[in-house]
Amino acid sequence: MSRKWVAGVLVVVLVLAVGLAGCAGGDTGDKVRVGVTVYNMSSFITQGREGMEAFAEANDIELLWNSANNDVATQASQVESLINQGVDAIIIVPVQADSLQPQLQAAADADIPVLAVNTTLSNEELITAAVLPDDVKAGEQEMQMMADKLGGEGKIVILQGPLGSSPELDRTEGINNVLANYPGIEVLAMDTANWAREEAVNKVKNWISSFGDDIDGIVAENDDMGLGAVQALKEAGMSVPVVGIDGIEDGLRAVESGDFIGSNLQHGRVELAAGLAVALKVINGEEYEKNYWYLMPEITPDNVDQFIKNVVTEKDAFLETLPELMAKNLESGDISNEEL
Amino acid sequence: MAKVPVKAGEPDGKKLQFDKRRVTNLLLRNLMALVVIAVAIYFTIVRPQFATMANLRTILIAAAPFALIALGQTLVILTGGIDLSVGSIVALSAMTSAAIIVGHPERMLLGIIAGVVVGLIAGLVSGVVVAYINVAPFVATLGMLSVASGLAYAIGRGAPINGLPVEWGLIANTRFLGVQAPVLVMLAGFVILGVIMTRTSFGMRIYAVGGNRTAAEVAGVNVRGILTSVYAISGALAGMSGVILSSRVISAAPYLGKGYELGSIAAVVIGGASLAGGRGTVWGTMLGLFLIQTLNNGLDILVVPAYWQTVISGILIVSAVAVDMVAAKRSSG
Repeated sequence: MSRKWVAGVLVVVLVLAVGLAGCAGGDTGDKVRVGVTVYNMSSFITQGREGMEAFAEANDIELLWNSANNDVATQASQVESLINQGVDAIIIVPVQADSLQPQLQAAADADIPVLAVNTTLSNEELITAAVLPDDVKAGEQEMQMMADKLGGEGKIVILQGPLGSSPELDRTEGINNVLANYPGIEVLAMDTANWAREEAVNKVKNWISSFGDDIDGIVAENDDMGLGAVQALKEAGMSVPVVGIDGIEDGLRAVESGDFIGSNLQHGRVELAAGLAVALKVINGEEYEKNYWYLMPEITPDNVDQFIKNVVTEKDAFLETLPELMAKNLESGDISNEEL
Repeated sequence: MAKVPVKAGEPDGKKLQFDKRRVTNLLLRNLMALVVIAVAIYFTIVRPQFATMANLRTILIAAAPFALIALGQTLVILTGGIDLSVGSIVALSAMTSAAIIVGHPERMLLGIIAGVVVGLIAGLVSGVVVAYINVAPFVATLGMLSVASGLAYAIGRGAPINGLPVEWGLIANTRFLGVQAPVLVMLAGFVILGVIMTRTSFGMRIYAVGGNRTAAEVAGVNVRGILTSVYAISGALAGMSGVILSSRVISAAPYLGKGYELGSIAAVVIGGASLAGGRGTVWGTMLGLFLIQTLNNGLDILVVPAYWQTVISGILIVSAVAVDMVAAKRSSG
């Protein structure tokens, strides 16, 4: 008899628990909810998250954050989960451009707008809007910086991102566009170091073994690899111009110290916050563009101080200006602007 | 009665055949060393810059962090186990050290010790789980892979740690007689572990546990203690590797060392060890490691694209091990 009694109590407790959970789940309130899934928590994305959170807080948005650990399947299930949670919009920083078609279709069927930020998705017709860096222009800018430094003549090596990823494809295209104008510049080697410093250091050491003093310059498709190259040069007792893209903290310091001749700023906080700002416009039924282009500002020894303030030393003050900055930038179309 | 034809100049046809077989066996037993030499010769011919002291130092400094991990893996595999967590431990120890020293260049020694100790503790946990709770090594270390990786991400709140003090780079960059410190650490590790495995009873007991665990137990070997020790050593070496890697590039990322466990297992297996345990040597592992590292270096020098490098490496490595298998059969048959 006592066993039945215990069973009965358990059943009542279970029913109550499920009932309460059901209530809690269903009550979403008036807060705007935006789901986010990113490829991985790189330096860039972590920075970007700060920007998104600053904007979200100022605009009463709840962010549901997911990181896919560089796995397409994980990202697909994260998108599906966000659709099931009935979010007001989904922001994706994709692992892979050619992916997620079924999930995008499901989101469209559920009337949930999807935005691609930082990297595009090839099913463009299923994307509501996109905030993308102009990676081709960034590649052109950095190659131009190198060409100018070398006076149009010399031998260079190029460190690429993961082969086939859209930033790599675009930056390589940009670099090649400028190289076409300089027949006097010879590319000794071009290969991937997968955005990683420790890969780049070994690759450049090996190229130094092969080409030695012949190397006049190193073009790195991102700052992390460029910093690996700087390390390799130090180990080999060489000093050669290096140029990068991204403007991460260590990259900015390298421009400041002269290890880099320059870089190109991709300020995660600004770029990702812009994505969220556009999402809010879509949710509120305001007018928006299909594509917003983040044009990377050039970082040179002359202007690096201001960027170091915004990105590193005075970033909290900068974050406070972010919500207002977003309004200004979306109005003017200059997404990468950092001044109010 | 037909006479057996004998070649001019030799006293006895049979004796020459015997010598030939001895030479062939000698070659086959040291096949891996010959392969490494052959690869080096090939690269030298195609691009002489390969065969310089500077390039040798380049290969050595690149190999150092991988070597430490492979040495630890050797001990684990000799006991019939496997350590899948070493890649994540590299990340965890790098992130731990970085978290301690960022903004505090005076804490360098603490950072180094913390990095190694974190690896040691992780290895100890795996070892206890394998030795005392009898979880299969594959499962136990796979679990540690996830835990250590997650902790590495947690330390940086998902992000890499930038802005490390420049002094942190001194660990990897300080030179003694022109040789960078990590290379000396690698050589020391090789010598110490080589001596332990061939000259101490501890080493003998490791072989015993791997060769026949029941017999070892009956013979009075503390099997559980041995098992725990090898995973702890593997973890500590992975921790040291993390410190060296993060010092070389003066930064720490939670995805550092990703996939390194496969490379370490490959080095050990190429070196002739059996995954079932009991067979293999520290020297063999170093050969296997240097085959891989020499290929990476040489193919870069020849400017072979990264995707072709993996094709070539894969084919060469499997072929080398296949021939080694055939050779082992022949010399024992």
